[in-house]
Amino acid sequence: MATTPVPGAAPVRASRMNPWVLAAGLAVVVPLLAILVLNLGRDPHSVRSPLIGRPAPAFSLPPVGGGAPISLESLRGRPVVINFWATWCVPCFEEHAALTAAARTFREAQFLGVVYEDEELKTQAFLAERGSSYPSLMDADGRTAIAFGVFGVPETFFIDGSGRIVEKYVGPMDRRTIAELIARAKGGAP
Amino acid sequence: MKRLAFALLVLVALPPLAAAQVSRAPAAPAGGIGAPRSQPLSGAELDARTNDIGALLRCPVCQGLSVADSPSSMARNMKTEVRDKLAAGYDQEQILASFERSYGEFVRLDPPMRGVNWLVWLGPLAGLVAGGAAVAWALKRSSRNAAAEATDPASAPSDLPSRDTLPADARLAGAVRRARELAYGWPDGIPPKPRSSAS
Repeated sequence: MATTPVPGAAPVRASRMNPWVLAAGLAVVVPLLAILVLNLGRDPHSVRSPLIGRPAPAFSLPPVGGGAPISLESLRGRPVVINFWATWCVPCFEEHAALTAAARTFREAQFLGVVYEDEELKTQAFLAERGSSYPSLMDADGRTAIAFGVFGVPETFFIDGSGRIVEKYVGPMDRRTIAELIARAKGGAP
Repeated sequence: MKRLAFALLVLVALPPLAAAQVSRAPAAPAGGIGAPRSQPLSGAELDARTNDIGALLRCPVCQGLSVADSPSSMARNMKTEVRDKLAAGYDQEQILASFERSYGEFVRLDPPMRGVNWLVWLGPLAGLVAGGAAVAWALKRSSRNAAAEATDPASAPSDLPSRDTLPADARLAGAVRRARELAYGWPDGIPPKPRSSAS
């Protein structure tokens, strides 16, 4: 048989969007988009430290340039400010002056620097040039930084007299911030 | 799926193992994770296990890299710590827990199976099941519709004129029938009965 077209044999159906399919699709896509948009500006590393409210990890580290190791244990009874820093960290420069000044003002608190992934000689040169009013400790194998859950520098921990971490501050601090957080660390002292 | 199966296996296998070994565990507890629950490792096994656990830890200073894969000094330090803990006899879960104490759940590349994390593990599976069900339902419905159309062609909604349609005007209708007779060879322009309208 020759090709005989059969007009109108296959009824053409208008394709219309099923509203239920549309609703189900939106129910999946809209929340995902909302989560994406709401978190676009968030740094994935800025997770709240699980150490806040917990006892600070114990350490005993030698000061830059040598000397007897300083342990956290030996500083019980007064607030401790532990600042993780490095000479290669630009925000740490900015913060250094504020910390040095604050350590002179708030004599009731013990300030400590912990050097994060840096060489002792460079650190010594930096401190000699800029001066410091508190000891900086060498954390050669990075163990203390890991125990404190440090992501980068500068990060500063405020510890109360009982050795509990009251707050963790990420980024360079100014004098006001330091004063506020020390006040909180004092409030938490027994 | 492989990860899920592995994690389930670990979950099922760990507690009895741990219980069996907890009785002889002398060394000093470190970082609030209790006494070592496993045997001290050394040599090639120590290297292999260090790498295994490093692959489960997120390097905190990297973008989505594991400690095993990252060349950063932070990751190197963390690997050293894993190694030391394995050599001291801590098991995988204790080591992961010790890092979790400082970095939070973030540090685990596989989210632990608890709380909302179950969503991450079971969500894709549930999605697959729901999607499969939706596809099956849609297929079933469309085949049912096709069957209904096959048995009752009149029910098929169509805006197009069917091949039986003729203009109301008698002269025009006659012309159309003649044209159909010429074009398709239908006697008197009347289409033959459809054999199967679904095809």
